[in-house]
Amino acid sequence: MGITVKIQTHQPFDSTEPNLHTVEPILKTENLWKLYHAGKVEVPALRGVNFDVLPGESVAVMGPSGCGKSSLLYVIGGLAQASRGRVLVDGNDLSAMSDPERTKLRRHKIGFVFQRFNLLPTLTAKGNIAIAQYIHGDGFDPHRFEVVTKMLGIEERLNHRPSELSGGEQQRVAIARAIINEPKILLADEPTGNLDTKNSEVVLEMLRRLNKDLGQTIVMITHNPEATTYFDRVVHMRDGVIVDGIPAD
Amino acid sequence: MMGEFVFRNLFHRPVRTLIGVLAVGFEVMLIVIIVGLTSGMLQETAKRIEGIGADVMMQSPSAQIFLAFSGSPMPIKIAGKIAELKYVYAVAPALLQFNSTGGVEVVYGIDPDSFRAVSSGFVFQQGRDIQGPDDLLVDDWAAKAKHLKVGDTYNLLSHDWHVVGIVEHGKGARLFVPISTLQDLVGARDKASIFLVKCTRPEHTDDVIEEMKATFPTYPVRPLKDFMSLMTSTNIPALQAFINSMIALAVSIGLLVIFLTMYTTVLERTRDIGVLKSLGASRLLIVRSLLTETTLLCLFGIAAGVGLSYLVRATFLGLFPTLSILITPEWLIRAAFIALMGAVFGASYPAWLASRKDPVDALTYD
Repeated sequence: MGITVKIQTHQPFDSTEPNLHTVEPILKTENLWKLYHAGKVEVPALRGVNFDVLPGESVAVMGPSGCGKSSLLYVIGGLAQASRGRVLVDGNDLSAMSDPERTKLRRHKIGFVFQRFNLLPTLTAKGNIAIAQYIHGDGFDPHRFEVVTKMLGIEERLNHRPSELSGGEQQRVAIARAIINEPKILLADEPTGNLDTKNSEVVLEMLRRLNKDLGQTIVMITHNPEATTYFDRVVHMRDGVIVDGIPAD
Repeated sequence: MMGEFVFRNLFHRPVRTLIGVLAVGFEVMLIVIIVGLTSGMLQETAKRIEGIGADVMMQSPSAQIFLAFSGSPMPIKIAGKIAELKYVYAVAPALLQFNSTGGVEVVYGIDPDSFRAVSSGFVFQQGRDIQGPDDLLVDDWAAKAKHLKVGDTYNLLSHDWHVVGIVEHGKGARLFVPISTLQDLVGARDKASIFLVKCTRPEHTDDVIEEMKATFPTYPVRPLKDFMSLMTSTNIPALQAFINSMIALAVSIGLLVIFLTMYTTVLERTRDIGVLKSLGASRLLIVRSLLTETTLLCLFGIAAGVGLSYLVRATFLGLFPTLSILITPEWLIRAAFIALMGAVFGASYPAWLASRKDPVDALTYD
């Protein structure tokens, strides 16, 4: 049995703005299950997750190790197929899609940021960002490139390879790569997990600015309670289910 | 962008790339040199036979095109019968003996007078013609390779010969001895391997051939001007099979090394493949990037192989001056194509494997 998350925001009601409660979620899961197979044993990672995220919302997902946070991220990002239930991303049902269709959806609607940065080691920072544009298929957009790299403060580090960048710089390049194609949703898997406090704050501030200034929808997985203060909403997970949904402040 | 990605990936592990390039280069070189060596030797032999100056050659019924392989000599008295035919100016019997001591070569046992009549004689650089039973004529290439000069003694077929003349190359063999001595040495008294016929006029060649075929219906009779076109690997028993085997061996080496190179590349780049998939890269794009990288590696290998082929040829010719290695543009292109196909085939499975990787497994790979 899944648990339905109530959507709450900090934004004050404004009659000129559309009521958020009437806005369709950009991301919606319905009774989402993910089972892994360990030999003949089925191990459930997600047990009927119901989870909505509205456009422009930033949501932090917290929970202990092994509670299914990463599995949730992979399934809603289309990297893994749900065992049961539905995932709707911008109205597209991922669970009904083939692998090539999910790949196409990732290309156009989802950006990923990982704990271990996952930059391509042979390319420069610029190359790592540009390859996302190449895969997206719209070619290199110098204006967007300039805006994003300036915003993330990496415009001076573009000709360096990942091995020549600090952890914080690498993660900012990874964020630039994730948002360069203006995805509908940015999914971040413990983006501060490999960073010191100072760099963690920088990265979290970047994510907040992306959300507030550009309206980027963000779902972030984290262990760090302090990180949740940068987000609109915090969702707690335990044993493969979401156990609540409360505002961060 | 993809070009830069592929290019940088290729040089990310320079030693591995170098091994791949060398493997392809070795493959190309092996194909080019094996084919060049066989076709070069065949062509060079054919040129020398054509260069004798005779118009027609008759062999024994069981003989092959490649003369040294003829196993059963014919009675030498056949020469007399041929000489009686219309338009025949001269007939020269020759006993051919394959010698593999101190190099691979064919020794011609000749009767100096008749051989001179059909071939217009040797061009002597040093010395004189065969007169005594132990006299040996050596062509200039063999003399250079064996460091022989007039007056030297040379042991050939377990017999000591006196080098009496150095002649210009291109008259059938590199070594010439009296036919009678050679007959005794190989136990083929009054036998000859071939009969070389000179017609009264070149335009009578076809008539002479017709007459010879009518008189000796089971004996192969060929005009010498066509010998070059007949001297191909397909006309030599087992030679084509040998060439194909060597090509298969070369391709196997290249294919296995490319397979291993790209397989380890895919393993090493598992996480990168996961990243590409998370960015929305299609399976086709991943396959294409790996095959493009393979193709690029292969092109470097082909270039190295061409250079290596010429280097090996120069080295071989320096060490063995009588060798002939024919490197033709046609076979360079064929070898390049074979290497390219082998490399793409070798990289296909690793590329397919990469495209099928589960993105989550790939992203969490250590």
